[in-house]
Amino acid sequence: MTELWSWITDLGNSKIIALLLFMGTFVAIVIYLFSSRRRSTRFESYRYIPLDDEDSPLDPNTGSGDRNKGERS
Amino acid sequence: MSQTAATAGSVPASTAVPSEQYNYEIVKKFSIAAVIWGVLGMAAGVWIASQLAWPFLNFDIAQITFGRFRPVHTTLVIFGFGGNALFATSYYIIQRTCQTRLYSDRLSLFTFYGWNLALILGVFTYMAGITQGREYAEFNWQIDILIAITWIVYFWVFLMTLLRRSQPHIYVANWFFMAFILATALLHIFNNLQVPLSLTSPHSYSLFSGVQDAMTQWWYGHNAVGFFLTAAFLGMMYYFVPKQAGRPIYSYKLSIIHFWALVFLYMWVGAHHLHWTALPDWVSTLAATFSILLLLPSWGGMINGIMTLSGAWDKLRTDPIMLFLITALSFYGMSTFEGPMMSLKSVNALSHYTDWTVGHVHSGALGWVAMITFGSLYHLIPRLWNTKIYSLRLIYIHFFLATIGIVLYIVSMWVAGIGQGLMLRAFDEYGNLAYTFTESVVFLHKPYMVRAIGGGFFLLGMLIMAFNVAMTILTAKRTVPVADESRATAASAS
Amino acid sequence: MKHESVETNAGLLIILTLAVISIGGLVEIVPLFYINDTIEEVEGVRPYTPLEQRGRDLYVREGCYTCHSQMVRPFRDEMLRYGHYSLAAESQYDHPFQWGSKRTGPDLARVGGKYSNEWQVQHLIQPKSLVPESIMPGYPWLAANRLDYSDIEQRMIALKRVGVPYSINQEEFAANVERFGEDVAMMLDINRAEENLIAQAQRENFDGDSTFISEMDAIVAYLQVLGTMVDFNEYSAGHFAEFR
Repeated sequence: MTELWSWITDLGNSKIIALLLFMGTFVAIVIYLFSSRRRSTRFESYRYIPLDDEDSPLDPNTGSGDRNKGERS
Repeated sequence: MSQTAATAGSVPASTAVPSEQYNYEIVKKFSIAAVIWGVLGMAAGVWIASQLAWPFLNFDIAQITFGRFRPVHTTLVIFGFGGNALFATSYYIIQRTCQTRLYSDRLSLFTFYGWNLALILGVFTYMAGITQGREYAEFNWQIDILIAITWIVYFWVFLMTLLRRSQPHIYVANWFFMAFILATALLHIFNNLQVPLSLTSPHSYSLFSGVQDAMTQWWYGHNAVGFFLTAAFLGMMYYFVPKQAGRPIYSYKLSIIHFWALVFLYMWVGAHHLHWTALPDWVSTLAATFSILLLLPSWGGMINGIMTLSGAWDKLRTDPIMLFLITALSFYGMSTFEGPMMSLKSVNALSHYTDWTVGHVHSGALGWVAMITFGSLYHLIPRLWNTKIYSLRLIYIHFFLATIGIVLYIVSMWVAGIGQGLMLRAFDEYGNLAYTFTESVVFLHKPYMVRAIGGGFFLLGMLIMAFNVAMTILTAKRTVPVADESRATAASAS
Repeated sequence: MKHESVETNAGLLIILTLAVISIGGLVEIVPLFYINDTIEEVEGVRPYTPLEQRGRDLYVREGCYTCHSQMVRPFRDEMLRYGHYSLAAESQYDHPFQWGSKRTGPDLARVGGKYSNEWQVQHLIQPKSLVPESIMPGYPWLAANRLDYSDIEQRMIALKRVGVPYSINQEEFAANVERFGEDVAMMLDINRAEENLIAQAQRENFDGDSTFISEMDAIVAYLQVLGTMVDFNEYSAGHFAEFR
């Protein structure tokens, strides 16, 4: 245990530790995101947040922007 | 889902108008400031570019020589144009996506005055020769403190607004803004650790020296790019691209991966500015490795933005704002490919210290940062003043001027940088240096002229934008009755 | 822990983001302060004299770092053009470091002694008069301005606070004598700062005008000492490679 600890605290090994930490966290995030269908749908529902609130109807330039509001189900 | 959507339907100005429900005043102020600093900062850029092409423009006047004026340019475009645009859009986006009013009108107003006062003071102190001599952190220590206070207030306003949101979920754009605020605070404070001569003296000496100072400075320098000029503008992208396209972002899960990977990786790469220097080898190798890895989240983000438009590509034909946004993403992809390539030690041996670096920075700064800001401001400004944009045609003209300017800029800097790099390392058949340094300076003259002209195109586009924005606002003010009416109804409703 | 709690909890989002952004900086910067071979041990590197330090302040003031680097890299062409590659030790008293990031003009890390004082003065006033192709601005005001050395002691005290071994009492002076020799130690004595500054300017008369001490005196004094402190003939060829 002390050996492991001294290996970790040795600054020379910081690169390997950092790599492991990063890979671990990254894989965990990816697994978390894609592991459950329910969670997946929930996440994708957040895409609509910017489109949820209406601009004033006097649509400024191209008429785009708020047209697809009804798309949301 | 939200009351706003329910009340402000297709019938105009019935009850709560967004401009009353939200604090739009502060967003307006920052937007106008961004345009003004944009014009000034880019003009300063064209000026110093011209000084390199035609040195007589230094006129032997201390205050405007290249060395003192370059920080004026970098500060005004990064912190003036970019910074004010970020304040404007972050204050707008957080209100719209949290569907709540900004936490405090007074504190947000304080950030406006604090930030812009720091910029004005910065310009004059640089020209007077008061500087810390650290790139992109030239502000002297008193201005640094003003900036730090402003920034903490900004953080507080942002946080308290987040806590007041009526949405359970925090939209991903706000994550990027939050990371930008936190990282910038950290970078600003640690890179500006100085010991002043006295409390009244504007001068100070950096706490660190030599290697440690270099590492701290470039940890700051590159993350100013990473968090100030990238993460925060990605926050902008994650709101305005879907909004302008009228379609949700391509993949929300991708945006989550994008966020964590980008935020984590960026902090490691600063040392690639110090390849082959007296910095220990392991640090720069580590930085190069992470720079390569950084390509993945960068391109993930670019794909996420561009694919938002999938199935609606025709918008690019009809909507100049969309053109700005998508072109910005393309340049983002290009410069985030070029960056990791230049961080390879073998490439860096050639490119470092040359104009290739300058070209790379500008493909990011003009292509990505400025283009996404133009697009966002064109989207934002008519909505803030509840009107139509003055001229769509001028937006098209702006777009083409800006694109021509960028292309001239980048290509001339490639020629200049790679050319000079090759000349300086060339040997003749006897093993002596083939060129003197001066010969490479002569070679640079033509690319420098082209660069100045490219910058001129970009500045002209910016001036057209300023005109377009000014006319939009003036026209909006002339049609006061409508606005008055809605204000009256809103007042009676509240 | 659920990611959902991160997205819905602003505090948690802040803490995690802070943790993630801190790792990179900590791993790369902190070891530099502890690893012994970050900075090589070499003979000869000393803090700047008061006049040289004021020259360095002017170098920073004029933004010379925007066009000139002070970092020779270990490449054959750079060794031929500029000299031995720069060592970490050579900038250990540089607050702030001025390694630079761009060479619109040549590297200056070893410019000291390459040109005469007269050349430097003439070149700073009117670069084109010596190098017709030059795009460097002229700095005529350096020759015209009187050098302000009223705050030299304050400056040295500030530098002492950040770790430069200037001496203020007898004990520190004695330590400097041991470390740098008596002549150098005298120059590093804060109590004698002004006297030393004036004496060096008059003795070496960098700008060729002995009527007053100009900013030109200071900046040329600084340029002429750049890269000259270490005598590379004393070290074997491969010696410094160990520290890379």
